[in-house]
Amino acid sequence: MLGSIIEKELKGILQSPKFFATFAVCSLLMLLSVYIGVKEYNAQVEQYENALSLNNQQLAESTSWRSLNFKAYRKPEPMQIFVSGLSNDIGRWTSINQMTSIKLQNSIYSDDPIFSVFRFIDFAFIVQVVLSLFAILFTYDAVSGERESGTLKLVFSNAVKRTQYIVAKMVGSWLGLVIPMLIPILLSILLVIIMGVSLTAGDWLKLMILVGLSLLLFTFFIVFGVLVSCLTRHSNISFLVSLVSWVLFVLIIPRAGVMMAGQFVPVPRVAEIEGQRDAFAKDLWATFYEESMQRWDEFNESANGDGGDEDSGFEMDDELLWARMQEEDSARKVVDRQIEEYEIRLQEELRQRKTAQERLAFSLSRFSPTSAYQLAAMTLAGTDIELKARNLDVMQNYRNQFVDYTENKIKETNDLSGVMMVEINSEEGIKINNKRNDKVLDVSDMPQYVPSDQPLSKSLASIVVDGGILGLFILLGFAGAFIRMLRYDVR
Amino acid sequence: MLTAIIEKEIREILGSAKFGITFGACIVLILLSFYVGAMNYKSSVEQYNAAKAQNLRQMEGLTSWLSLEQHRIFMPPQPLAALVTGSSNDVGRTIGVHRRSSIAAEDSKFSEDPIYAVFRFLDLTFIFQIVLSLFAILLGYDAVCGEKERGTLRLSFANAVPRATYILGKLIGSFVTLVTALILAILLGCLLLPLLGVSLTGDEWVRLAIIIGTGLLYFAVFLSISVFVSTITHRSSSAFLTLLVIWVISVLIVPRASVLLAGRAVDVPAVDNIAAQKATFSKQLWQDHQKAMGAFKPPENHDPTMMMDLFNAYMDSLSQIRESKMNEFSDRLNEDRHNRQKVQQQVAFNLARISPTASLTLAATRLAGTSIDIKDRFYESGIDYKETFADFMKEKTGMNITGGMFIVQSDGEEQEPIDPKEMPEYVYQPEPLRASLAGSVVDIGILALFNLVFFIGAFVSFTRYDVR
Repeated sequence: MLGSIIEKELKGILQSPKFFATFAVCSLLMLLSVYIGVKEYNAQVEQYENALSLNNQQLAESTSWRSLNFKAYRKPEPMQIFVSGLSNDIGRWTSINQMTSIKLQNSIYSDDPIFSVFRFIDFAFIVQVVLSLFAILFTYDAVSGERESGTLKLVFSNAVKRTQYIVAKMVGSWLGLVIPMLIPILLSILLVIIMGVSLTAGDWLKLMILVGLSLLLFTFFIVFGVLVSCLTRHSNISFLVSLVSWVLFVLIIPRAGVMMAGQFVPVPRVAEIEGQRDAFAKDLWATFYEESMQRWDEFNESANGDGGDEDSGFEMDDELLWARMQEEDSARKVVDRQIEEYEIRLQEELRQRKTAQERLAFSLSRFSPTSAYQLAAMTLAGTDIELKARNLDVMQNYRNQFVDYTENKIKETNDLSGVMMVEINSEEGIKINNKRNDKVLDVSDMPQYVPSDQPLSKSLASIVVDGGILGLFILLGFAGAFIRMLRYDVR
Repeated sequence: MLTAIIEKEIREILGSAKFGITFGACIVLILLSFYVGAMNYKSSVEQYNAAKAQNLRQMEGLTSWLSLEQHRIFMPPQPLAALVTGSSNDVGRTIGVHRRSSIAAEDSKFSEDPIYAVFRFLDLTFIFQIVLSLFAILLGYDAVCGEKERGTLRLSFANAVPRATYILGKLIGSFVTLVTALILAILLGCLLLPLLGVSLTGDEWVRLAIIIGTGLLYFAVFLSISVFVSTITHRSSSAFLTLLVIWVISVLIVPRASVLLAGRAVDVPAVDNIAAQKATFSKQLWQDHQKAMGAFKPPENHDPTMMMDLFNAYMDSLSQIRESKMNEFSDRLNEDRHNRQKVQQQVAFNLARISPTASLTLAATRLAGTSIDIKDRFYESGIDYKETFADFMKEKTGMNITGGMFIVQSDGEEQEPIDPKEMPEYVYQPEPLRASLAGSVVDIGILALFNLVFFIGAFVSFTRYDVR
């Protein structure tokens, strides 16, 4: 009995004219999105490699340890083909040097705003918007439509249990929609391979989980459509109800959750934080210069013996002077460190606020299964909101290594090339001493920058939570439809 | 006769459950988008003021304008940008004005607060583009073929009704009802703005009115496409499916695919390459000049202060040469990239205009001042400001601040702290209304044309429609 109802349901879906049209649109969209994704990914990889070689070239030409500058780049991930997430919104690189703190700059969208005008369509977007719409389109009249056409009465005039009927309905529509949908999904994965993107074993695993999650979301909308069809008596009403719910689930709740969290937990702008840092730095430097001036006076006095008339001209030991300048330089370093620590503290506070905001926003938006899916997919692909913090952590770590390394080098080589000494001497006039800087540096032993990498094991917990939420939604929908069906008036 | 048909159509729409539900959803969404826009605008104004105050605070206590390392200018938040976000969240909002080095806009909203980028923005254009177009289809897909299925079409033509009158009545009736309903909802939303404390200037109200007009035109396009499709199909289910496919193609595929095609067709050099070229050139210049500085030979003069002045003048002239060379070089590179980008944009947008959704986006963002040009506009105003600021500094200190270095002479006397308020104020000038209008008139025209074509299409194909 169960088998024949499932079979009937399957036939009903596969033979309907709308099936072919929707199937074709879905396939076209998925292949197009993956094609675009691969093209963009390849372009980004090319840009990344180009940037790395330019970077190395500049390193090889540098002549001063003090002003050595390295650019650390974010590495493009193949999973962003399927879930572009935030990868286009977050800066691609940061400068790493002694002077400035790290900051991600030049996001793809800010470099080329043309791409931001219509955004990207990625696989995850198609699953969320198009597949969900189609799932509803096929199931909204599952029960109410049959009632209208009178076939429901016909079915129950035979010895068919209601529970059996609703289970068969669900299973039938699920098989009829999910199995055909697997074809374009597999085709698009095939396209990725054909276009020569190399995926690691980890990437494959992630991809499989992504497909699984997508099917979960698809299943939810199938179940939801059936639920709505059990709740209403006319198919046009059930269509409207499911469409409005679709708009809510897909378009409104995710966004509204974020907007509300933005209202409840205000976060200051980066420019404000930087202003605070600059004010702090300015104060420190002001005291430093005052003290430095004093130290120089003392030094001049002791070097001069009598500290007499400065215009009278005196011979000073060159090496002694350089040593003094180095001393001054290390005092400067202390101030640099202090400023850096202050900034890290500010950033830490900012990050905590943002985390609170994010937690609230995502908890609110998880009232929609679509958000749960989007969050899980982004976490899976490593293009989630943590992308920025993760990269900044790795970059900050690297910067510490880098600074230590260059400090050591400066000490080792007694490099003073960044410092220029201007002597005013009434005998010879002005002398500028900057001779120690024309050698090219040997940077072969510089610490290597390893871009951040998110192994699946680390993000699995949050993916499981979102997957669980999806499962829960499906269960609720199923239970609702089941209970409603028991009391449905079939006339 | 015509009025009777129009009246019947209006009554039918207003009485239908379909209209009740979709219109209810529309009101909620439109009000929500206005509310969210207003709240966002207010919080970004707060952030903006805080950042500006902090910017001035960091200068307090400085005793010389020369010790001002850098300060920042910010793009002020615009109320219309909260309703039509366009590219405003993707481009940098802050420019650091340094003594040296060229300016660049940094910290876009999405890169700074990626949380907003996760699900993107809920703004008025989004509601128009996606939700209202979908609802237009929903309300119009069975206009003719639905009546045929129910048999009411045959009934109407059992009387002596000319077909032309009938379809005209139907079109006018549904347009008038739905557009009026929408206008009411939007007016309610507009009312929210002053209630929530967002004040718009007269100029901005005009812009908002045109944006809303464009949105309604867009809604009408989808309505007339729906009626047209319903006159060429005989079953409402196939009409709906056809329309859904059209919707997916117009809203989701065409705009994005055209950007992709343009990206392939026009090659734009990567920013990294340009930055690397600039860095190499700048280093080269600096090295040359370091040698030149070492070669500075003062005339036979033993007065140190005089020598110092001469030396300063010499350094100043070197740095000016360096600056002008560097500017010339980077201008050339930037200009080249910029020109290519412009070509790419033109190609992309012209291709995208096949879809009414793209036309709506382009027109609305242009009018709201959040089009793709916002990046150039902010950057150019930053350059102008930098010049004004350099003039100001020259006047204050007598030195060319863009120079590579300068020497602060301290004579030990107590100095007066500077007054940061003396600094020239940065003012962001949005595009004048006339120019925005001129820029968006093409897209508005395209939308009107779409309307006309499908209106006529529906008219013509109905005169041949088989009503049985």
